Amino acid sequence: MRVQKVIGIGQLGICRPPEQLACLGLGSCVAVILYDHQLRLGGIVHVLLPKAPAKNNASEEKYADSGTRKLIRELAARGAAKERMVAKIVGGAQMFTNLNLTYADIGRNNIAEVKKALREFGIRVVAEDVEGNRGRSVYFDAETGKVVVETAFSPSRTI
Amino acid sequence: MVDGQTHGRVIDIVTEFANIGAGSAATALSSLLDVELMNDATTCEILPLSKVSEYLGGAKQVVAGTYTYLCGELKSGVLVVLPQDSAIALLEHLTKEKVVLSSLNQIQMSALKEVGNICLCWYLIAVSKMIDIDMIPAPPDATVDLLGAVLDMPLATVGAKVDTVIAVHTSFKAIDRQFEGYFLMLPEESTLKLILDRMGAPEQ
Repeated sequence: MRVQKVIGIGQLGICRPPEQLACLGLGSCVAVILYDHQLRLGGIVHVLLPKAPAKNNASEEKYADSGTRKLIRELAARGAAKERMVAKIVGGAQMFTNLNLTYADIGRNNIAEVKKALREFGIRVVAEDVEGNRGRSVYFDAETGKVVVETAFSPSRTI
Repeated sequence: MVDGQTHGRVIDIVTEFANIGAGSAATALSSLLDVELMNDATTCEILPLSKVSEYLGGAKQVVAGTYTYLCGELKSGVLVVLPQDSAIALLEHLTKEKVVLSSLNQIQMSALKEVGNICLCWYLIAVSKMIDIDMIPAPPDATVDLLGAVLDMPLATVGAKVDTVIAVHTSFKAIDRQFEGYFLMLPEESTLKLILDRMGAPEQ
């Protein structure tokens, strides 16, 4: 039996084999998945918004920039090396294309902030399934580092 | 925001507020579809962002959602959500053609949007009258996808300032056939205060 833990909006999870982590129904949210192959140690953060406010008393995991940094810190604290970490990014879709609101472009902004934070640490993005206008569910397997992406109506793919 | 003492009273007032909106929306939908609809009691829950989709039945279910955001004095997300079977039934009834949710044509998509639009407008007209504040909704948009994905933008909009949201949920169903759905209001904190003021909550 695989142990699967669901990581909700603004949550962060770390896992080792045989555990799996999942984020269900990502729209404009982004799942950042980091993996250290050598230790078979990985983690996901499920971020909702692009940038943490300067005066931040809210949770770091909610924001693309601070959430990505926190995930890197959490993995590093468990022995993962930044040089070995690779990143996969999923989500950041635009679900409502006709709405002309402040948050219309939030998916793309989320992705941009995640990538910026990863660059600060020199972490490579090895795969991504981002943007578009479809929701996605993500399953991450710490055994292999593989990530399965499901959508509502098309076949799943592994990245 | 809401301490233990006022908690129950706040829930009561917001629930009554949503009941009136949902009643009006269901009446409009009833006559549009020529189906007798019944509203369930409104529930009002304070939830962390991570738990909202779970509370509504799970992020992975496929739903048709119409969303608008109020951008006047009152700030709130409002959604009409239909499970996939009901969305198909609704669209087949309106368009008299076979409907495949994964590939809605333009007419079907616009019918879905319009039904959502009508519901949301009647919801808002009723509550706006009650508290005597004009509401300015953005033009609504609809999508058919995983519930979690449908809720992301509404949650991002209210979740920018807070880690918990108030989900005000009223479900409706047809009396004599398989058709159901729900209205969901996600008010911002300032809006909640305004509603409570206007509806006569005692100052604490």
